[in-house]
Amino acid sequence: MAPPEESRDTGRFATLVGRFAPWLAALGRLTRHQVRFTLLLIGAGWGTLRESLRPNSWRRPVIYEFRATLRQVIGGGFLSIVITATLAGLMVVSQAAYWLGYAGMAQMTGSILVSVLVREISPILVGIILMGRSGMLSLTEIGMMVLGGEVRGLQARGIDPFLVLVMPRTFAFTVGGFTLGMIFAVVSLLMGFVVAHASGAITSSVWTFFFNVLAAMTTWDYLVIPLKFVLVGFFVGLGACISGLTVSSNDTMATIMPRGFARGIMLVLVVNILFMLDF
Amino acid sequence: MAANAPLLELRDAVPSFEESGLMPAPYNLRIMPGECAVIDCRDFERAAMFADLCTGMIPLTQGSIKFMGLDWSTLYDRQLNALRGRIGRISRHGSWLSLFGTHLNIMLPHLYHTTDPFEHVVRRATELGHTFGFPGLPITAPDRLSGADLARAACVRAFMGRPDLLILEDISDMLPEETVLPFFETMTAARDRGCGVLWFVRSSAAWHAYRKAVNIHMRLLDEGLFSLRVV
Repeated sequence: MAPPEESRDTGRFATLVGRFAPWLAALGRLTRHQVRFTLLLIGAGWGTLRESLRPNSWRRPVIYEFRATLRQVIGGGFLSIVITATLAGLMVVSQAAYWLGYAGMAQMTGSILVSVLVREISPILVGIILMGRSGMLSLTEIGMMVLGGEVRGLQARGIDPFLVLVMPRTFAFTVGGFTLGMIFAVVSLLMGFVVAHASGAITSSVWTFFFNVLAAMTTWDYLVIPLKFVLVGFFVGLGACISGLTVSSNDTMATIMPRGFARGIMLVLVVNILFMLDF
Repeated sequence: MAANAPLLELRDAVPSFEESGLMPAPYNLRIMPGECAVIDCRDFERAAMFADLCTGMIPLTQGSIKFMGLDWSTLYDRQLNALRGRIGRISRHGSWLSLFGTHLNIMLPHLYHTTDPFEHVVRRATELGHTFGFPGLPITAPDRLSGADLARAACVRAFMGRPDLLILEDISDMLPEETVLPFFETMTAARDRGCGVLWFVRSSAAWHAYRKAVNIHMRLLDEGLFSLRVV
């Protein structure tokens, strides 16, 4: 006797599902794997902000960790920032002053410098230095602590690793990002002025030069430039800490470092691109 | 917590095998305030896992574990952390952060869980350090200390801050001979004020001198936890 029509349809459907299910599962796994870090970052970012508002979260070891990381971020990155800012200043400011003067558009120097150097290049370079000098260090330290069982040891003593490691370090990176960013902006402009003045491309005084730069800044620039430095610092710090905290037992230094570096670069660029789209 | 309530109580607690590697057998244990339970276990890792189980770090598939009358599985993160802050613990592995000096490692739980003035914490840690044979508090990184000094430091940290429960993994092979008596004395003093003790040992030599003061003697095997007669 032939099977009824309904039963035949169900069988066909089951065969179809059986054929495509592994593909769908693989696609789902890939999607979840790809967005996992983004979702973790959003959740941890929100958690960091929320926890930081509770006075109870800022206990003595947390404050100690914040200070130690801040010292490391600013102290460790200071020289690199000054050197990079000097090189960037030599290149960008002197070139801009020279070519704008050559084109008879010397009055545009301030606005070009604000747009190119301070608003676009500085946050990216500061973010990369922050990540290379301090982010990778945090990533390795926390990753090794997870693999060595020290993070579990902290939990066993009732010490929340998120409060003691992630939150203070993220805020130290945030403050460090702003500080180093401001140092970068000032040093790069100053060094550029020195070279351009020495070569005769700029004849005005340093005060006039800085006055022109400040006059070229819009109200948005006063908001966006510090915000970029702050957000770059926040996400580089958070990304490094979260990447370290989520290492698996299969990970080694050889897998942790490249992954952390790629994520850090991606975060720096994403923050800058988001601002570029909006403003 | 009621005065006559158990301090730590495992009632048919079956740990999740996937998360712990402990056999999914029902574990039963009850420690009253001031009692000392010695658990024979030759395997360090199994002892550490059982210690984690008692501190609510391993999920259960059935049964319950209560500490000071509170079921670990019903508490939120902040409550869990606060409750774990009342446990003094000696661990063999993964308990020292190389980020800080040993002195900060020792004081870290106390500084985190309490608001005691820093000077008091340092004074108390230094006193305990003297008890366990340190000239003061070691400030070098833990990975630069010898095994014996780390064992002393582990004792100082575990006894800091009047814990309600002591979970002591066996460090008798690292603890110097002259520190054994202060260890017993400090443990007895803690028990006298109502602190329970869960003490993992690998051989009878580790607790032989203290056997008369032990209330519970059990053996932790692959198959579960078995009571033994206190000798």
